[in-house]
Amino acid sequence: MNPSASLPLLQNALTVGAILFSLGLVGILARRNLIVMFLAAEMMLQGISVSLVAWSRYHGDWGGHVLVIFVLTVAACEAAVALVFVLQAFSRTGRLDAAAWQSLREANVPRTVDHELPPIDTVPPRFPTLTPAGVLPPEDEDARLERDHV
Amino acid sequence: MQELSPTSLLVLVPLLPLLGAILTVALGRRLGSKAHLPAMAGIAGAAAVAVTLLVATARDVGPARGHGAEPVRPVEMISTLWQWASFDKAYAAPPGSPAADLRLESQPLSRDAALRPFSIPVALRLDPLTATMLTIITCVGLLVAIYSTGYMHGDPGYPRFFALVAMFVFSMSMLVAASNFLLVYVFWEAVGACSYLLIGFWFTKPEAARAAKKAFLVNRVGDFGLAIAVFLLWMTYGTLDFHDTISSQGVIMPGILGQTRLADAGGYVGGIVGTAICLLLLLAACGKSAQLPLHVWLPDAMEGPTPASALIHAATMVTAGIYLIARSSPLFMPCPGALALVSIVGGTTALVAALIGTVQNDLKRVLAYSTISQLGYMFASLGTGTLLGFTAAIFHLLTHACFKALLFLGAGSVMHAMGGVIDMRRFGGLRRVMPITAATFLVGSAALAGVAPFAGFFSKDEILAALHAKGWATAHGGHHAAVDASPFRPASFAGEASATWGPTAADPVGLDALDSPATWQILFWMALVTAGLTAFYTFRAVFMTFTGPTRVPEGAHPHGGHDTHGHAHDSHDHGSHGHHAHGHEPQGHVSYESPPAMTFPLMVLAVPSALIGWLLFSTNWLGHFLSATPSFTATAVASTATPHAFHMDLAVQGTIAAAIGIVVAAIGHLGRRSDGPQLERFLGPLGGLFANKFFFDQIYAALVVRPLEGLAMLAALFDRYVIDGVVDTIARIPLALGGIIRRSQSGLLQRYALAGVLGVLAIVVLLAWQLRP
Repeated sequence: MNPSASLPLLQNALTVGAILFSLGLVGILARRNLIVMFLAAEMMLQGISVSLVAWSRYHGDWGGHVLVIFVLTVAACEAAVALVFVLQAFSRTGRLDAAAWQSLREANVPRTVDHELPPIDTVPPRFPTLTPAGVLPPEDEDARLERDHV
Repeated sequence: MQELSPTSLLVLVPLLPLLGAILTVALGRRLGSKAHLPAMAGIAGAAAVAVTLLVATARDVGPARGHGAEPVRPVEMISTLWQWASFDKAYAAPPGSPAADLRLESQPLSRDAALRPFSIPVALRLDPLTATMLTIITCVGLLVAIYSTGYMHGDPGYPRFFALVAMFVFSMSMLVAASNFLLVYVFWEAVGACSYLLIGFWFTKPEAARAAKKAFLVNRVGDFGLAIAVFLLWMTYGTLDFHDTISSQGVIMPGILGQTRLADAGGYVGGIVGTAICLLLLLAACGKSAQLPLHVWLPDAMEGPTPASALIHAATMVTAGIYLIARSSPLFMPCPGALALVSIVGGTTALVAALIGTVQNDLKRVLAYSTISQLGYMFASLGTGTLLGFTAAIFHLLTHACFKALLFLGAGSVMHAMGGVIDMRRFGGLRRVMPITAATFLVGSAALAGVAPFAGFFSKDEILAALHAKGWATAHGGHHAAVDASPFRPASFAGEASATWGPTAADPVGLDALDSPATWQILFWMALVTAGLTAFYTFRAVFMTFTGPTRVPEGAHPHGGHDTHGHAHDSHDHGSHGHHAHGHEPQGHVSYESPPAMTFPLMVLAVPSALIGWLLFSTNWLGHFLSATPSFTATAVASTATPHAFHMDLAVQGTIAAAIGIVVAAIGHLGRRSDGPQLERFLGPLGGLFANKFFFDQIYAALVVRPLEGLAMLAALFDRYVIDGVVDTIARIPLALGGIIRRSQSGLLQRYALAGVLGVLAIVVLLAWQLRP
């Protein structure tokens, strides 16, 4: 029997997978930033993938590995599509808040409003300024040409 | 005759108009103003075939031998097209009924074999009565169709009208040619439907729609009677066929009016059942032929186009009741009470309708009431239960069809010219501006009034003779007494008769007491008075319309006016008379005459209206011809035959009555007095009674219409608040449940995700619970 297919290894791997999955789940339920929610969903996928790999190794069967590769591919595509959606949503509303999109609710259900946010401090910050002193150094032609950005 | 069988020709009579109707419906819009062509071709073909058949049947009957009352061989030809329904061993006949009569089945039968077959053959018959009716229907139909091309010109419903007329001719010819009571019932309804559609032809007019509904509903009462009568006939006689048939076992099944039963003196039941059948048939006939309790629909039916009124509500459809009773005459013979009732209904209707007709100011309504009155004459004649009475009724039916169609078409011509006005007080002196219409109308009026050489005189004389013969039996050689002794009461079933079927139950309701000489004497005098009244109102109408100073209502246009019903205005030039006034009176010489398409049928119809009575009476051709009808060769009917004779005393009496009527009408309405109030002053309070039509409509409204409307309103309320309430409550339950769940639909992403997670958790927990060790 393959020594690496031992029960403790499986248990450890499954524990890691479960932790990843649960963290992702909590992230999805608790966070409202669309990108973070998306990352959380990815994390849940990775948790499942770890479990799959662990089982696959335990049974000595390649099927789980193949499935994980497949999941990774799909997840990559999905990431591309999902980011497009997120970007579009952002460009529409200027917000990444999932609660900004409530139009699926029933007509007679009132819009869910957040708790009152603290007012934004409108007084512009005052930054310290330095009094100009000394002589203006001569302009170095080479330094101007070699500047890393314009 | 062998090369072209009459029975195969007979099929063409209904078939051609049916094809015409179908073609008109299919091509009507494309043909436009030529939409009458298919329908008219169909009716014309049917008319040609019908006349051919009449000639062929007359050749079969053979010439009359002397003035004899000698028995005539029945002439009938049956062609069975197909079996509509056919069942072997369908039912067991009730014991004791004539249907269970086993005289034709000699050996005792097992129970299974005793079951009788039931079939409804679609069979057409040709006999003298049918041939006569077919000729009337198709010929009048053809003339009316020709007339309608002028009258209905430019109407938006032009194709529809001709399709309906052709459909009506089909239904009516099937009705008189059918050899089965069920088929008669089917086409009885079909002509009713055609009548409904034609009365309501201008259905956007509320009066027309209401009149159509009224006609349909009143007819329904009569149709109900016919339906029950058909059930009873089947229960009693075990068949609905008129003719004898041979069953699959080779047994002759005697038809109700078949030769086997007709030759048997006791072949028809009297008693409760027989009387009930007769009374129900009478009810049906009263509905279709507008007799007294059910006559209210016919005057209102004048809302339809005038050609339809002429064809259906004057000349043909309303005679269906006469036809039915004449055809069923052997059934009536054992029930003298029912026969007397037929006469009483007819005589009363004739008198009442004539009285109402005297005060009508609407030309078409005068004619409508005269139609009811004349149909009453026919009923009175049928009720005598003698061969003379039956043939006289058909004779009067024939002459009446000619002159009443003529009068109606003439009235339509007047209405057409007067711009849709039909109130006689609003025009007058039209003989100068509508000479053809006036002359032909006068011929028709003379025929209707019974003026000596015209058609109505002879047929009315025969009816009076038939009534007189019953009232004063001894003066006519005792035929009445022979009938009264009733040797034709069913005798054959005496042995096996139960109380229900047999002669012991004869006269169960005392109805036969009506059949007394006094009844017939009263009826005779009523008929005579009616004859005078008929002459009065007819000539009152003639004088009011055609004499006096020439007046036309506003809105009438010379050269064929226009109906109020949307006639196109592109048809001015078809009244071809000179437009220019060439006399001194500005009004007197402007022609309002109708187009030739309308005057031609008037002139054609004027010929038989004038001559056919004398032709048929002097040769006794029709009487002899009709006596070969199977129904009239029944022993009970044929034995009442009397020698053909001209009754001078009755003719004189009838002429005196007519003359009095005409003279009174002339005193009141001739010339300058044509629109005077003399009649109202003379009648006094009675005039109100007549003008209100004896309050029939009001009585029906109070007794039938209002209670039914109340009931309908109750039903509507019940429907709206109880039935709809229950349904609405049930519908509200899911709505309320949904309202509860709906509140959870917040549109927030996280809530949906949470719900999903909780759902998965629940499944997991459930699975874990189920898979627990």
